[in-house]
Amino acid sequence: MTDNKNSKYSKNYKLSISNPKIFDAIKMLISILIALAITFVILCLVSSDPVNAIITILTGPLTKTRYIGAVIESFIPYAFAGLAAGVLFSAGAFNLGAEGIYILSGAVVTAVAITPLTESSILHPILCYLAAMAFGGTLMILPSFLKAKFGTNEMVVSLMLNSIYAGIAAYVVRNYLGTLKRGGNSSKDYLATAKIPYIYDPLHITICFILLIVVTIILYLVMKKSRLGYQIRLAGTNPKFAEYSGISAFKLAISTAAIAGVLSGMGATTALLTQTTFYTPSQSLVGIGFSGMLMSMLGRNNPIGIVIAAFMIKYLEQGTAILYFVDNSVPSEIVAIVEGIIIMLISSQHFLRRFREKKLLKEGLEEHAE
Amino acid sequence: MLSSILSTLFTMRFLLTIIRMATPILFAALGAFIAASTGIGNIAIESIMTFAALAGVLGSYLTGSAWAGVVFGMVVGVLTVMLIAFFSMKLGADAFLIMIALNTFADAVAIFILYQITGDKGTTASLTTPILGSVDIPVIKDIPIIGEILSGHYILTYLCWLLIIVMFIVIYKTPLGMRMRACGLNADAAKTAGVNVERLQVLSLVLSGIFAALGGVYLSLNYLKIFSKGMVSGQGWMGVAANGIANGNYWMLVLSGLVFAVFRAVSIIFSSNSAFPTDLVGAIPYFSVFVILTVVSIVNYYRVKRGKVEGQ
Repeated sequence: MTDNKNSKYSKNYKLSISNPKIFDAIKMLISILIALAITFVILCLVSSDPVNAIITILTGPLTKTRYIGAVIESFIPYAFAGLAAGVLFSAGAFNLGAEGIYILSGAVVTAVAITPLTESSILHPILCYLAAMAFGGTLMILPSFLKAKFGTNEMVVSLMLNSIYAGIAAYVVRNYLGTLKRGGNSSKDYLATAKIPYIYDPLHITICFILLIVVTIILYLVMKKSRLGYQIRLAGTNPKFAEYSGISAFKLAISTAAIAGVLSGMGATTALLTQTTFYTPSQSLVGIGFSGMLMSMLGRNNPIGIVIAAFMIKYLEQGTAILYFVDNSVPSEIVAIVEGIIIMLISSQHFLRRFREKKLLKEGLEEHAE
Repeated sequence: MLSSILSTLFTMRFLLTIIRMATPILFAALGAFIAASTGIGNIAIESIMTFAALAGVLGSYLTGSAWAGVVFGMVVGVLTVMLIAFFSMKLGADAFLIMIALNTFADAVAIFILYQITGDKGTTASLTTPILGSVDIPVIKDIPIIGEILSGHYILTYLCWLLIIVMFIVIYKTPLGMRMRACGLNADAAKTAGVNVERLQVLSLVLSGIFAALGGVYLSLNYLKIFSKGMVSGQGWMGVAANGIANGNYWMLVLSGLVFAVFRAVSIIFSSNSAFPTDLVGAIPYFSVFVILTVVSIVNYYRVKRGKVEGQ
């Protein structure tokens, strides 16, 4: 974002580092390389065969179609969570409520999915989606409303709500949607009509994959081309200026939260209807909402970047899961370290800045000499 | 049934539970407050507590001394805040994003390290580590009631209350504290008056890291006596919330920390009674924070609106 002011220089140097887009790409690449190098060092410390370990992490998922299928199936809910976080972060809102929305709207999806509302296997999933989206969109507004109206700390409120929602979801599933078959913690099995089938079986591609692509493109257009998107980004980068130019901070806070909530509801529904046949609140959707924030930071709040980041992270997780089979000295949590290093480096505006400035200066001098 | 619940609420055991529950929250609150006094919102308290809790147990295991474990935990706390300071002050990253990221993968990093050392992803129960004990204060412990309230607590609980008093004096009665508060109120004005704002902010962050780390070490070396996955469970955030409610008022900070501890204790007593749904009872502490924080902000909003207090 801050590099845009240099864009007038970039016209002449399309393929050099002075082009902000190219610089961003280089920075991303170097961040990933540094993260992988550090990961390799860690692997050297913990694994007996570090070279093989890193090769397995990076190429493992490609060795079997069902591995890459598992990545495709599992990354979609994370991508939705990332998109939700991206909208909020773009507006400068630190509402971290997606985690709780995922878990509680999971209970809503379950309630619809175990009730024989319709015979149609097309209508039933749609009803699940609509219920979760409406529910998520409404609930997500609460912390943002309190922040916009009364100045309540939305971060703390949303985190507390996450824990409260998790408790409510567990209570509802145990007492109203549950079955004794699974020890009381899980719901009854979903009806066959609610299940979303694969369109292309070997790669585990469902209609949800297409849904994600459509939503991502729409969101990209909204964020980059529409009036609302412009207002959101303006409020995120310069809230005072946004206020003075007549943008209602209150309306904006409510609408971004609602969009994020709807996206979270979509993600929760996708995860449950494609990956499981019943709901366990303490397991099924835990952590997706929080991971979404990391996806959003990795994708730099750009919807397309977020989806790529989500795929990349789930790919690495699949890689480490395969590695864990072969060499159980490396648990899958190592992905968190990779994620952490990349996020910290790419969100650092001054990282590689001196290198870029030197290049810019050199190019400027050369141009001047001509 | 209600009377049996009420009778447990007004016992000495309940009061002692509150004092035990309050310690980590007060450490966290103190950490959030000292950082906020120079204008830094330290929201990484939760992750610092997690890291320090693990480091405390491992340090104690490796050296054979519980106090070395405490030092280990504090060092890790300081390293974590230095990492945040490095990325936000030197590399120009958004400090909030860095801290949110830290909180999000703190558990995973802790589990990774835990697994490497113990081969277990849940707890350090397999390690035999020296731990910190409780203190009986001579003379006072023999006084009825008062002795029971004041004596026999965990050693870090006493340190916590000592720090609360010491930090009050430092923040409000010394030139250093005055400069720190000046940074928080108006960094530019403080800079003009010759205060080295950045250095004081780093100092307050380091102190904040140490306090948060003590909260984490209390959990793993004093209170639960092991590290277990997810053991911090929002107590760091309760400290951050207490700081939000206090809004610069020191004794309000301590009071909010104590109130949150009361609700944690209530939740624990209710959860042992099978008449209550455990899922909902477990959410009581979080619900109390949510309600109190919301009510306080609404009250403040209307006070500012009516012009009783000057808004910011």
